[in-house]
Amino acid sequence: MSEPRISAFARLANGNAKPTRVIAGQTARVSRTMHGLFYNAKNDEIVVPVALGGAILTLPGGANGGAPPLRIIQGPKTGLVQPDTLYVDVLHDEIVADSGNDSVVVFPRTASGDIEPIRTLGGPKTQISNIYGIAVDAVHNLIVVGNRVDTGGRTSQDAILIFNRTDTGDVAPRGIITGPRTGIIKIRQVVVDEDRAQIFATIKNNFENYEFEQERPSPWNPDRTGFIGVWSITDNGDVPPRGVIKGPATGLVWPAGVAINPVNGEVYAIDSVSNALFMFRVPEFFKRPPSMSDGGRR
Amino acid sequence: MARRLLLLCAGYVLLLAAGWWTSAATPSSAVRRTPALLSPEARLLALERDNGCLDTASPAAIQSWPDWAAAHIAGGDIAPSRVVSDPYPTLHSVAVDADHDRVIVTDPNRHAIWAYERTASSKGAEAVTALAGIRGPSTGMMFIAAVALDPRAKEIYTVDNDIGDRLMVFPYDVDGNVKPKRVLSVPHQAWGISINPARREIAVSVEGPREIVVYAQDASGTDRPLRMIRGPKTGLGDPHGVVFDGVNNEIVVANHGNQNGRQTAPGSVSGGRRGGGEGGAAPIVGGRFEEPSITVYPGEATGDVAPVRRIQGTKTGLNWPMAISVDAAHDEVAVANSGDSSIRIFGRAADGDVAPVRVIKGPRTGIRGPMGVAIDAKNDELWIANYGDHTALVFARTASGDVAPRRILRNAPEGAPTVGFGNPGAVAYDSKRDEILVPN
Repeated sequence: MSEPRISAFARLANGNAKPTRVIAGQTARVSRTMHGLFYNAKNDEIVVPVALGGAILTLPGGANGGAPPLRIIQGPKTGLVQPDTLYVDVLHDEIVADSGNDSVVVFPRTASGDIEPIRTLGGPKTQISNIYGIAVDAVHNLIVVGNRVDTGGRTSQDAILIFNRTDTGDVAPRGIITGPRTGIIKIRQVVVDEDRAQIFATIKNNFENYEFEQERPSPWNPDRTGFIGVWSITDNGDVPPRGVIKGPATGLVWPAGVAINPVNGEVYAIDSVSNALFMFRVPEFFKRPPSMSDGGRR
Repeated sequence: MARRLLLLCAGYVLLLAAGWWTSAATPSSAVRRTPALLSPEARLLALERDNGCLDTASPAAIQSWPDWAAAHIAGGDIAPSRVVSDPYPTLHSVAVDADHDRVIVTDPNRHAIWAYERTASSKGAEAVTALAGIRGPSTGMMFIAAVALDPRAKEIYTVDNDIGDRLMVFPYDVDGNVKPKRVLSVPHQAWGISINPARREIAVSVEGPREIVVYAQDASGTDRPLRMIRGPKTGLGDPHGVVFDGVNNEIVVANHGNQNGRQTAPGSVSGGRRGGGEGGAAPIVGGRFEEPSITVYPGEATGDVAPVRRIQGTKTGLNWPMAISVDAAHDEVAVANSGDSSIRIFGRAADGDVAPVRVIKGPRTGIRGPMGVAIDAKNDELWIANYGDHTALVFARTASGDVAPRRILRNAPEGAPTVGFGNPGAVAYDSKRDEILVPN
């Protein structure tokens, strides 16, 4: 965090590998607290939030060094306060982002400058409080929010909130995955496998406490290592994950981010405490044929 | 290892036989649980060993699992096919104690502080063995950033930039997994730290809240700050390096210039017990990218005060200014200019859009993404901590241009790659280039 940069590594990199390129420097405009970024293969663009600059950057896909952004969304009309994470709906050409002010804001993908969002999702009915992950299932017209409710301990109200893609204003989620059987404590980045209607979520499963007036618990407790959990987009309530990557063999301590590569049957996890990128070959996660009819656990 | 491979193979066979995501999927009882036999410290070290970061073997860690007994869960305790991780320290900041011939560097990669002899250097491609390394669960260190020294008390000060949110003080003579001598709770996103020996005060810079928080030097626990510089007049924008100049009674700050969408809440210590906090009532004014700057305040400044001097503009060449060091004896300020891999030295009293008096930059210098800089006026030397390379470099204090360093202190064999992770928070797959993108 204290060394803001975006590093790229060859997919087959292993061990102490040198990045193929590093995006960094004043002109690149990136800052700390990038809790999400999106690579848009269709348009060959990297889209990333700038929490400390209240902005969304669109960088060239092959950006390197201090390459300046192609477009910047920033200003008082945008509603962007301190955006931590985002996603790109490539099918509908939209950027869906955390505003940093307890709401989801949606912009046209090509938006630039100080413009108003085309949709804003927030308010008490939405239950959106502290967004750490956003994903869009454009095929099934859904927005998935990794929502965190800091309770300062091992109890958790963190949730995966599922909305209709075009929801706007203060509307209730159509699905909420939360509760002790989910294992969700301190949710982070989420992604969606649209072809198989799956949500991959990063669960840190350890409590960090940034409450201003409270003591900090030790973050070094490896009793509570995190995991990657997989749910169906039709799941709802206090339901266990359909799949996990979890345990001492995984090496995961505090996984903070997840990405998927269905073509190669791989899941990538970034771990904040161990400063490591883990690559798992799990083709079984991607074998299920595209379908919404999965037994209906809602 | 053999047991792990056996379990892994068995798991894959079960998964392949059962198929993914069906009623016959692998039952959760097949997911491995390892009994708790070790202390938390040993378990953490075991995890780091598994990540290729330690060379001593330890049994695996305990796990806690939710109530998944009746669930059908695929996957489980799966070994990664590949892991990118840097087993060597990555240097963030550097401080020199010329009186005791010590150099201290911080390492957010392995969560450690390393101590070296001031004159230590690599004769060739080899790494230099540290005199001492402070690291481990008992230290409480997480993503530590800057470091400061009190040569009189022989104490090392560092701050967590993330997760830990602590200022920690260690004696010079400790080594290994030790508890700090003192701990002070500081705001989230603390970056720089500096001690003013004349005032017996500490200044801490805090990125997002855009503030400088001042504490008594012996503050500990949840002690409140003495005062705080914060507000729109201050010109603070994503502050990083800070120097509390005891000779000239000034606070000097390096700013990246980022302003988030909410107005900074003006004021001093009213923001809360430790200082910090954005203040929910502060108006939303929209984010801005201001130019990077070096701002200077009186030592006793408090609240929403304008800087007495500000170095800012195109002539300065400032580009992600990280740590700074003030040489009161020669009236100069050195800036670790990370964005263009240079060190820029300005006159201490410089103001406005001014060019540096000297710049150290170029391929012969070996400077790569510097985060730390420290002037050793007694020995007429300038130290640099390279974040983009496993080295600390020592130059003559007056070095200028594309010159080779006087000494190189390596903490990894020459040529060892630097991964550069520092609390990475997300990941994405670039299918066009077959690359994985990781932001810090």
